[in-house]
Amino acid sequence: MSSIVISGDTSGAITLAAPAVSGTNTATLPAATGTVMVSGNMPAFNAYVGTSYNLAYNVTTKVPFDTKVFDTNTNFSTTNNRFTPTVAGYYLINTFLGISGSGGGQTGSLGLVLNLYKNGTNFSQLGNVIGVSSFPGLNCSILVYANGTTDYFEIWAYSNAGNPSGVPIQNGQTYSSFSATLVRSA
Amino acid sequence: MTLLEKIKNIYPSLTDEDFFPIIGTIKLENANDGKGDYIAVWNHPTLAKPTDEELA
Repeated sequence: MSSIVISGDTSGAITLAAPAVSGTNTATLPAATGTVMVSGNMPAFNAYVGTSYNLAYNVTTKVPFDTKVFDTNTNFSTTNNRFTPTVAGYYLINTFLGISGSGGGQTGSLGLVLNLYKNGTNFSQLGNVIGVSSFPGLNCSILVYANGTTDYFEIWAYSNAGNPSGVPIQNGQTYSSFSATLVRSA
Repeated sequence: MTLLEKIKNIYPSLTDEDFFPIIGTIKLENANDGKGDYIAVWNHPTLAKPTDEELA
């Protein structure tokens, strides 16, 4: 027998299949109640700021992560720069962002703050750096819960650099990232 | 003229520190949706939030 098919009471079926390779292996299910996680129900994405963007002076602004590296479950929108996971559970969110240290007209020490917004409001100040002479940047992460339906997440940034016209975000995959992955289902 | 500059023109006593995260009492946001900057939080102890007419 190469596979076992378990049919649902009304519809659907699950097939448990053995790999078509030699050797005997054992997969042990834990003595606990929960949902088995497989690649098909574990959303993960990575996006970056692909288009040059000016971060306004003294205004907390949603960061325009507009280019995807991957998005396994189509849960990230480059239109509104928003991650809306469709599987309930606990997600590890990572982000890094920097602003240009030249060409922005900034004076004095520079500051940069990154915030995670959940459902449109500030959920957590992920990190801040203050008093930097050039190229302030931050790399932050947080573990959050998402209900899998309505919860969504965005990265917002604040900077006091570039009075009054702001400064450019360091765009490109090398310098910016917003990513997340499901680490445990609800 | 930015929203920040308009507010400072209305209230010249305000400084950049009034708009800083954590220590500031005023927070400006931009949802990057083409609608521009807006006042997200106004908790200044003595100055009233400017009206739309004043900011126009």
